[in-house]
Amino acid sequence: NPIVLDLAYNFIDFPSLENRM
Amino acid sequence: PIEDLFASLNKHIQRSDFEQAVKVADQVLSVAPGDDDAIRCKVVALVKADRFDDAISTIQTSKKVLTDFSFFKAYCLYRQNKLDEALESLKSQEGNSATMLLESQILYRLGKMDACMDIYQKLQKSKIDSLEINSVANLIASGRASE
Ligand SMILES: [K+]
Repeated sequence: NPIVLDLAYNFIDFPSLENRM
Repeated sequence: PIEDLFASLNKHIQRSDFEQAVKVADQVLSVAPGDDDAIRCKVVALVKADRFDDAISTIQTSKKVLTDFSFFKAYCLYRQNKLDEALESLKSQEGNSATMLLESQILYRLGKMDACMDIYQKLQKSKIDSLEINSVANLIASGRASE
């Protein structure tokens, strides 16, 4: 079973905090 | 002040110290309940710490936020192998590339190869030109060919 790539994980990302600091 | 807490939160994120990031996000939320950025940071940090139950309960207790957490929730359910619930959580989502990728991964686990392949083919035709998507589609296609 070759399909183990979890590409959806790359879309779990943090918001930009640049203007909050 | 809250700016210092966010600076600290950002530092933990940069270091991939997700447990500490959760703690500081909670500190932000104690002074600014419902802060959208803090809640999203907490949810993402919990996912990256593999704490899927905690991520889901954080989403469920944060109903009033602006962010739509359906994709995050669906991803948690997928990682917990609650595949039908995961698909259900994706239903409200528009068909962007993230949603389509996750849906195809869920369908793959459900053994629905044709439906899975359909989505990968749509992704290949879409604007996103991803080598990874192409390679996954080719792997599925070759897997089916060798059956
Ligand atoms: K997969």
